[in-house]
Amino acid sequence: MVTKTEETELNRLEIQVDNGGGGAWEYLCLVRKLKVRRSDKVLKHGLSILNDPKKRSNLGPEEWTLYEQVAVAAMDCQCLDVAKDCIKVLQKRFPESKRVGRLEGLLLESKGSWAEAEKAYSSLLEENSFDQVVLKRRVAMAKAQGNMSGAIELLNKYLETFMADHDAWRELAEIYVSLQMYKQAAYCYEELILSQPTVPLYHLAYAEVLYTLGGLENLQTAKKYYASTIDLTGGKNTRALFGICLCTSAIGQLTKGRNKEEKESPELHSLAATALEKIYKQRAPTKLPLLNSALKGLKI
Amino acid sequence: MGLGFAVGVFGVLILAHAAYSTIQYRGLLKIMEEEFSGPPMTVVAEVLLGLGLCMWAGLTVPGKFLSIHPDSEENRIVSLPLNVDFMIFNHRGRAFSSEIDMKLKY
Repeated sequence: MVTKTEETELNRLEIQVDNGGGGAWEYLCLVRKLKVRRSDKVLKHGLSILNDPKKRSNLGPEEWTLYEQVAVAAMDCQCLDVAKDCIKVLQKRFPESKRVGRLEGLLLESKGSWAEAEKAYSSLLEENSFDQVVLKRRVAMAKAQGNMSGAIELLNKYLETFMADHDAWRELAEIYVSLQMYKQAAYCYEELILSQPTVPLYHLAYAEVLYTLGGLENLQTAKKYYASTIDLTGGKNTRALFGICLCTSAIGQLTKGRNKEEKESPELHSLAATALEKIYKQRAPTKLPLLNSALKGLKI
Repeated sequence: MGLGFAVGVFGVLILAHAAYSTIQYRGLLKIMEEEFSGPPMTVVAEVLLGLGLCMWAGLTVPGKFLSIHPDSEENRIVSLPLNVDFMIFNHRGRAFSSEIDMKLKY
């Protein structure tokens, strides 16, 4: 998870390094730790360190991690010769390494030669059939070729063995949402919430999938999860606040005409509306009339 | 930092002195063959003073406390990490040629 302090630190380092100040190595370490994808910057600054023999020797044993990071960034920016050179250097240093073998498979993938990459990965899997990274790369390859059902199959098989890998559950949820298979996506998000209950973004995503599914029960559950998102974020998440208002109005429309004793209290809706108005007044006062007319349009 | 540290050391010394006084008091009571009901009032006051000084030092010396609220301004989650394990390379960025001719020199 990238917190706000880490993000500000990252941006500050990025601006500093872009404008010629030092600190490229700290920036690259921070990018590696936070797992963000800034491939063009990583490539530029990583190459500036690697091409300078003095800076390279300063790194000591960490220069090989830098080679790996720059290789992956180069593949992302389609500078395949840079990637090939980095991998060659790594191969010379670590001849029989599986990690370098994975990088070679990655290079074949980025070139687009799917069959050869598949061959390389299968040979790596023969040596170690439970290599998580290689199994995940096979899923990524299926996804890159557009074979979504194949990707889903491979990912399901992977998750049968490695049920605790929440990155994989997230990936599966996103694939299902892209294919509009919302029930299965809801199941994946439930697994994510079970393993990491304090991340509000999972609650939000689950609530949105439930809201998209529709139906009275799903809407009520969605409302509960929007509320838990608001709870976890201290009321600052505008999307969850909007979600509550929309859920309340949708539930109201579905239960129109049914017995009014079951009607839930409208306090949550009015509280959410007040909170939204306060946030808009603070941050975007010009859009306040738009908000007011939208909220009035939601029939309660 | 220096002041807090000095105050902390002073507080510890006061506590040690209070402990020594209590032991001496017990020795005195053993000589006079009376029961040891509790340390004298001066020692209790000294212990409380030492407690106050050490607590103040303990809170000042470590420096700034970090926030533990998950929704505070600096702790809130801004974005989830991008799934780097599942990164795919045939995106539209392929069409952009890199501006600088980047090469790994040796």
